[in-house]
Parts: sequence; C-alpha cells; structure tokens
Amino acid sequence: MTTTVEDSRSVDHAIAVPVSDEQLWEMSAAFVAHGLASGEQVIFFDDGTSEAVLERLADDGIAVAGPLSDGRFTVVPREVVRATRHSSLDEIGATVRTTVDGALAAGYPAVRMTGQLDHSLRSTGAMADIDRVVDAAVRGRPARVLCCYDRVRYPDDVVEALRAVHSTEVVAPAIYDDGLLRITATGVASARVAGEVDHSNRPRIRKLLEAALDTALRAPDAPPDITLDLSSLRFLDVAGAVGLVHAAEEFPSAHRLVLAGVRPGVQRVLDRCGAPFAAQLVVGTRPEPGGDG
Amino acid sequence: MRIETTRSAGALRLEHAAGFHATAAHLRQLLAPLADAAVARGEPLAVALEPVTEEALAGRLGDDVRLARLTPAGEPDGASAQTTAARWALELRALAAASGTPVTVLTEHVRRLDGADGRFWTELDAALNVALADLPVRMTCFYPQVPLHLEITEGARLTHPLLLDDGELHHKPQHLDPRAVLADRPAQAPPLLGPPDVHLPFGAWQLHEVRAAVERALAGSAHERDRVEDVVLAVNEVATNAVEHGTPHARLSLWTGGPALLCEIDDGGTLRDPLPGLQPPHPSEPRGRGVWIARQLCDSLHIWADDRGTHVRMRADP
Repeated sequence: MTTTVEDSRSVDHAIAVPVSDEQLWEMSAAFVAHGLASGEQVIFFDDGTSEAVLERLADDGIAVAGPLSDGRFTVVPREVVRATRHSSLDEIGATVRTTVDGALAAGYPAVRMTGQLDHSLRSTGAMADIDRVVDAAVRGRPARVLCCYDRVRYPDDVVEALRAVHSTEVVAPAIYDDGLLRITATGVASARVAGEVDHSNRPRIRKLLEAALDTALRAPDAPPDITLDLSSLRFLDVAGAVGLVHAAEEFPSAHRLVLAGVRPGVQRVLDRCGAPFAAQLVVGTRPEPGGDG
Repeated sequence: MRIETTRSAGALRLEHAAGFHATAAHLRQLLAPLADAAVARGEPLAVALEPVTEEALAGRLGDDVRLARLTPAGEPDGASAQTTAARWALELRALAAASGTPVTVLTEHVRRLDGADGRFWTELDAALNVALADLPVRMTCFYPQVPLHLEITEGARLTHPLLLDDGELHHKPQHLDPRAVLADRPAQAPPLLGPPDVHLPFGAWQLHEVRAAVERALAGSAHERDRVEDVVLAVNEVATNAVEHGTPHARLSLWTGGPALLCEIDDGGTLRDPLPGLQPPHPSEPRGRGVWIARQLCDSLHIWADDRGTHVRMRADP
C-alpha cells in the first residue's frame, strides 16, 4: 500500500523512495514534524542530510531547538550511525527494542525513527536483513520507522529489493521535480516552490502560474490570490524574478500573486527586478525564527 | 500593465563635451568658468581630476563649495573603462537624485591610464555616452592638445557630441554613435592572470554547478553571506548569457588567491553589443537585465571579444 507523509499516523515501518534531495528533505522534515506535533519522541539517524533537514524544518516553521535540547528530538551523529556496520543483526534488533522501551519509559506515547544507511557499507542482502530485524523489533509496538532510500544515492536494484521487504511506501507527489527545483501543490491556487530556479527550469514557473490562474478563474470558490510558498527557494535568477514580476502585472486586476516566506537573497533579486513597483505582487518575507515549541 | 521607469524625467540629458588644453595653466583657465557657472546655478560639481588640478580648482572656489570626487579610474586588476563608466553613472545618478538638479562634471586625461595606445579613453567616453545617456549631466572632458597617442585626440573627436571652444560649446558633426566608434576599436583584453584555481566547462543545464563552484571558492573567504549570494547571482547571470546567447558550451575560471575573487566566463559567441549592461533596462523589457545587475554587484566587470569568442572578467571584493 502507499500512503502520504500527512497520513503517516498509520505508518509503522515504511519505505520512502525520494527522486531528489529536495523531496528527501521534505519527507524527512514532515515525518519529524508530525512526530513532534503528536508528542512522540523523534530520532533521526544522520547520513549527512541532517543539516538540510533541519533547514527544511526551519523553512516549515517547526521549532526544533527546544525538542533538540530536552530529548524530544535526537539527531544520532553520522559517526555513530556508521559504527553500526560492525554490529550484528541481533545487536541492531536489541538497539531498536531498547530505544522503544526507553521512549515509553520516559513517558512518550510512541517513538519514531528515520534516516538512511549508507548502502556502500553493506550488501543489498544485508540491508534487507537489517530491515527485517527492525521490522520485527517494532511490530505491534508504538513505534514508527520511515526508511529513506533515494534514487540519487541508491541503485535501482537496491531500491527495488528494499521496496519488497517493506509493506508500506510513503509517497509525496510533486507537480514538478528535476532534482534542482521541486514544485508541490499546497492548495487550489497555491504551491510550494523549493530549490533553485535558473535558465534550465524557469519556464516551469510560468506554466505553474498559468495553470494556477486558470484554476482560480474557473473555480468560483477558489481564492483570488495565487500563493507561492518560497520558504525553501534558495536561488532565483534575474529572468526568473522578472518573470514573477511580469506575471503578477499581467494578472486580471482582481487577482494578486503572493510570494510567501521569501528568503533575504531571493528578496534582493526581486527588489532589483521591479517587485516593489508591481501593484499586484505581494512579497512576504519569512518570519523571524519563533520561540522554542 | 503598469510600467515604472527608472529613467529620470529631467529635461536635461547628457551634455558631453571635449575640451583641449595646451598646458596645466591653460587647463585651470578653462575649468574656472565652467566651475563658476555650476556654482552660480547652485548645481553640484563632480570631478575626476589630477590631485594638483583639483587642489587648484578647490582653492579658487573656496571652502563653501564642495567638490564631489568621482571614483578614480583604474582597478587593481587592470583599468576597465566600462567599469569606470558604470561606476560614475551610479555615483552621478545618486548626486542628481539628491540635489534634484543637473550635475556638472569636469574630468581630465590621466596619462597612466593610456595603456599601449590610448584606447582606454575612447572606450571610456563611448561607455559614458551610453551609461549616462539619460542622466542630467553636463560633462566636459579635458585632453591635452598634443597627447602621446594620436588615438586620444581622434577618439575624443568622435565620442564627444560637443566641443568646448573659446568658452562656448559647439556641436560636432563628425561625432559618432558610441557603438559605431567601438566597432573599430574593440574593448581591450585585461592583463593575463595565469592559470586559474578553478576551471569548469559548463552548458545550459549545469548553471547550478557554476553557482556551486563560486560558492565553494568563497567559502571561508572574507565575503559575508549576503555578499556571497550577490556574487553567485552576478556570475550566474553572466554565465546564463554565455550559454543562452553565446555558445551552448562555455567555461568558468576562478582565481581565488587574493582577497578579491576574480572570475572569468568565456564563450565562443560574438559580442553583438560592445557595451552591454551599462544602462538600466526598461522594466517592460524582460531581457538584458542580468548584465546590468551583474555590473551593479561586481566591483569590476569587463567585457571584451576576440577571435576566440566573448569574455567577461569580474572582480568581487569582500
């Protein structure tokens, strides 16, 4: 069966196969965020992506400083994760069981774990064995495990072998994802644009806006504003910025283009490209990092 | 669609005149009435003069008159006339905006910038014609009557629409469009830099690799986070132009040894406009903004062409 991260309450031990780094960060951050929101203990096994996942959590407005300092959220360092290559299957199973026991003893209703293992350290068969041991350790217990095997780092045969041993796959559909830019729908007339916009993928933004405006014009209950969440947009080139400004100016007068969560660097480009003079363009900067939740 | 313009609405646009002097004393004589007239009109006076000339002029005008000194031409990595023109445009735009009046500018030929043939001055005046075109600026450039290079007299004759003669400005019919002037005198190549520290061939789908290379080169440098982002943007825009308008494949070179980052983008294409990015693009014009913004973000940006293609060198100080 497949499920979405939003629905991951039903996940016990699931696999995710992101097509891009951006999707990996998105799914990992969503899984962590849902755990924190449910009061669960969250453990992230770092494989070199923790920095990007923490950045994505900040983009999503999830306060992690508090949970990181009081144990609700733990990032297991890469060296420790890598050291498991010397562990036997029994030891790995025992570690998972102890982790679950510890979380329950500390009063958490459940525990959730996610991360990646470097496949170069083990054979495909050995990785499948680990997954079986983890599965046995969490089965029937209040624990959720999301294993991420992305196509950037893992060969297709490894991904397929690992898919076979997981009963559930978590999916995160996108409107567009080329590994540099990822666009996901967030509502009838809103989308999230993450990654980098340049000469290679700029036309996608135009298409996205045309489609969103088309929807907004046809659907009577659609909001008049087209909203793009740019919290995770790290780069926007000049032609991309000019494109957004021009698109907003060409909107029918009842509609506006709202850019939300704009990072300072992206905002400077927009400012240099006439955004302050575009009446139908609203540029919202990202809020200051909030207090610890 | 609403169109906002960044161009000034003032009635006066660039008045660009050449003046020729025989001696230093003659130069001071010629400068005096122009400066006095600016003061009488209550307009700001900007200068790019040799220190001794500036001192004499300041002495004559007295303490009540402030001379705005334009950033002297010449860069640590070699003189770039187009960089000087872009910078003066920025400085004069600010002066004109602050005063709300036209600005009088007095400049003087400086021999150390002549280079091999004096072509620097022709390029500077042609670039100023483009960069200052829409600014309320009365500019008079003084050249020696007998310069070391004939090119200087010839160039000044072609690039200045006005000639200062006997205290009067006269139109010169032989003056040419700045781009036509430069057609025969392509912008000079900057000094060679030796083998680069980073060399990266790239195509239209590898611009993120160009950005990553610049970011890596600036990691641990004295450039602050915002500065790094702006420099990455500037290089991205020039690199985008290279693969979009030049040739499908271009090259990035980076020199990281000094405090400033030096960067070059080379493509095999021909340079259609010898002076790109010197004028703010019209807001309704979707193209041409990249190089203009890159010029604003870099401390120097020099474009030249030769039989191998088009080259852009950028310098980004911390």
